[in-house]
Amino acid sequence: MSFVRIQNVSKSFNDNRVLNQVSLDIEEGEFVTLLGPSGCGKSTLLRAIAGLNAIDEGSISVGGKDITNLPPKKRNVGMVFQSYALFPNMNVYDNIAFGLKMDGLKKHEIRPKVEQMLSIIDLKGKEASYPSQLSGGQQQRVALARSLIKNPTVLLLDEPLSALDAKIRRSLRNEIRLIQKRLNMTTIFVTHDQEEALTISDRIFVMNHGRIEQAGTPNEIYIVPASEYVARFIGNYNVWSREQLKGLPVHGLPEQGDMFAVRPEAIRMDTAAGDNENGVVADGKVSYVSILGNVLRFEVDVAGLPVTVDMLSGQSIEHLSTGTPVKLFIPRDEWKSIQKSS
Amino acid sequence: MAGRSTSRHKIMLLLLVPFFLWIFAFLLLPAIMMLISSFQNEGGQGFTLGQYVKGLTHPLYTAAIKNSVILSLVSALVGLAVAAIGAYSFTTFSEKARDRMLSLSNMMTNFAGVPLAFGFMALLGTNGMLTLLFKQLGLSFLVFDLYSWKGLAWVYIYFQIPVALLIVYPSLYAIKEEWKESASLLGASAAQFWLRIGVPVLLPALVGTFSVLFANAMGAYATAYALVTNNFNLLSIQIGGLVAGDVFPRVELGSAMAVILFVILVIALWINEKMLRLARKGGGLP
Amino acid sequence: MNGVSGKKSAASRIGHLFVVIVILTFLLLPLLVTFLFSISTVWDHTILPKGYSFDSYAALFSDDRFLLALGRSFLVASVTVVLSLIVMVPTIFIVSLYVPKLERWLQSVVLMPFAVPGVVAAVGLIKLYSSPPFAISGTIWILIGVYFIIILPFVYQSTRNSLRSVNAAELMEAAEVLGADKPAAFAQVILPNIMPGIIAASLLSFSIVFGEFVLANMLVGGSYEVVQVYLYHMLGTDGHRSSATIVTFFLLVLILYVLVLKFGQRKPRTAVTSDAKEGNPFELRPDSKRVEKF
Repeated sequence: MSFVRIQNVSKSFNDNRVLNQVSLDIEEGEFVTLLGPSGCGKSTLLRAIAGLNAIDEGSISVGGKDITNLPPKKRNVGMVFQSYALFPNMNVYDNIAFGLKMDGLKKHEIRPKVEQMLSIIDLKGKEASYPSQLSGGQQQRVALARSLIKNPTVLLLDEPLSALDAKIRRSLRNEIRLIQKRLNMTTIFVTHDQEEALTISDRIFVMNHGRIEQAGTPNEIYIVPASEYVARFIGNYNVWSREQLKGLPVHGLPEQGDMFAVRPEAIRMDTAAGDNENGVVADGKVSYVSILGNVLRFEVDVAGLPVTVDMLSGQSIEHLSTGTPVKLFIPRDEWKSIQKSS
Repeated sequence: MAGRSTSRHKIMLLLLVPFFLWIFAFLLLPAIMMLISSFQNEGGQGFTLGQYVKGLTHPLYTAAIKNSVILSLVSALVGLAVAAIGAYSFTTFSEKARDRMLSLSNMMTNFAGVPLAFGFMALLGTNGMLTLLFKQLGLSFLVFDLYSWKGLAWVYIYFQIPVALLIVYPSLYAIKEEWKESASLLGASAAQFWLRIGVPVLLPALVGTFSVLFANAMGAYATAYALVTNNFNLLSIQIGGLVAGDVFPRVELGSAMAVILFVILVIALWINEKMLRLARKGGGLP
Repeated sequence: MNGVSGKKSAASRIGHLFVVIVILTFLLLPLLVTFLFSISTVWDHTILPKGYSFDSYAALFSDDRFLLALGRSFLVASVTVVLSLIVMVPTIFIVSLYVPKLERWLQSVVLMPFAVPGVVAAVGLIKLYSSPPFAISGTIWILIGVYFIIILPFVYQSTRNSLRSVNAAELMEAAEVLGADKPAAFAQVILPNIMPGIIAASLLSFSIVFGEFVLANMLVGGSYEVVQVYLYHMLGTDGHRSSATIVTFFLLVLILYVLVLKFGQRKPRTAVTSDAKEGNPFELRPDSKRVEKF
């Protein structure tokens, strides 16, 4: 049986159904991400697991124990908030020790644990600092330590990185992942940032309107989006309906499917037709070129239909300037038929 | 799950009970008693509109209402004008100086009522410092009777100014320096800027402040009372005299007059509310 | 053009200075004259006092009636403020975090005192409380009862703002997830963080109660004489004692204001930092510097 089991959970706020029969299973030690735009229900689900939001229907169990009706303090879950929620009146040491104090541990029992935690998060020597004296990244590490010290059954991370700037976000992301692996901590991470989700997770649950739209490893989600919604959300996928393609200089369309998704980097582009043994071919014209670091992004106009094509820079592509007529080739297995989303 | 959250809810609502009781005993119930009393005969019996009729027709009381309204309008208008100019001048100083001046002015809102009456007596009373000074300098035309309407108007204006400053000052920050700059780049003079942009933007805030000041003066009692006890025929003084007078308390008529005063205040504050909303809509207030 | 505007701004600076000086002088003059009166020996037919001494203060502080009144004012103000905090802080906390439906209602109720001047409030209270079964008119109880209402707006505003600025809802959740129950989380996490705001509100409320005259005079008057009523009784008879009382009262207001400023500026050490720089552990945030100063 799965370590965390969420079954048919529903929740409404004033007639607004934010969670709709959500079910998911998480294995022990797994790092999973709930991914989706704001309002998709991901934070509500996380807060339901923490016991901060009561649910209307369904059940939640952790480690084989039903926690659906327990108050937050009896669940022994750890939670890190987007705004850290450190206690401003307490220094780093007291913030980290707070949970143990609430459990009634003695001072001499608390000290070694806090010190161990401090070394894990690499903030030794900062015990006496107050949250306001720390940088955002340091504060978030304290928040992490504070939740980990009670050795929670599950660690819940509610957009913990989104208040930080890009560079710190990346380094703290890696750090969180390392600590998680080291402690084999079952972790549920909530984010709206698909890049973050793809890099950090063992598994991703893409959420939409209170439902799980797709579940899978980062690779599965990225390579085989199940629906238009996922394809659009996950990145720069080209998403077209069969109707849109009607009458365009596009050949070799498959018989099945109404909705298609193609990754920009899966498209081959050249000025002349290449070996197009099995795939879709289209004629277009380069309308815009932008440089994204090591990738060149082309906007290609196929009789009015915009197509995004990514190519590694460094290839000899100087001749593909704006206005150049080009041939696009998409291998058959990169032409993904997806479900239409409303 | 439902059971748990409602029982927690109940404990929390229980903690609100003292507040509700207090509000009931010292706000709601007195208000109801006052309202009931205002519809009763002298002696607290029956039902009558007589007290209101008396309050709104008897020359003594209509004069009191009129006097109060005029005094309040004048003091609010002058107080607001002085405060608006003063607040604008405040903004031209450094932050530190500005904060000090504002703190000082805010503190002076406490110099009201009985202490204020004394201060003005010592300053402008019959043997007041300025009175004597003016006389000695041959400026007798500057001397006025503190215990007259003119004197009372000065006192009212005095206590309106710090209150007005307190309220007006933040709204001046609605005028952005960039507006002035872009207006002047577009060829507007300072006067044109104020006429076409500054004053229209501030207008709701100014009207709102005016109604607060008006209400402030309408309800004021202590200063006039301390100056010459019950000799000024003002609405608030009449109410005080009717309810807690030494001779024959006429609580019912006092209640009716108090209700009348309250209604006037509610109208004034309602205008303030409207104006605030208007100012917020126009982005005029922070 | 530049030169003209430069000249103009110098002129306007002098203009502004003039305006400020006139206004502040006007505001301070009555207080200054009162002070001068309080340290004068004889001052009746001259522009300035004939001599100076602190005799008025000596007389005032050896006047039992004044000392009693002062004591009563202190008692009324402290009891009111303490009761208000005990009742209102939990009420505001619970309503704003857990019963948001009541929030608007609470807000309009606590703002009521702004619309009800003392003289109006007194009418209903006299009617209700001067005869049995609740004949508390003329006692300290009616004063405490009504002053509680008078200071509501200040206590509410300050507490509500503090709760908002420390993000109380999330701090509560964090504490609860870490194993605290609601009372413990409130006592150990919320209360210490909103303390500066609460102290500022208390001091302000204290000064308001201390300076209140209308209700004290109409509801209680001589039977429980507080400082303002004592002052009123002295006004016509003893200018020296009156002025010394006023200066003493204002000194107290001044002290309270300085304390309010101190606590009001003391920003809670909130931890909202999206712009904090990583890798510079010694850089203190500006608000924490300000904390150090006090």
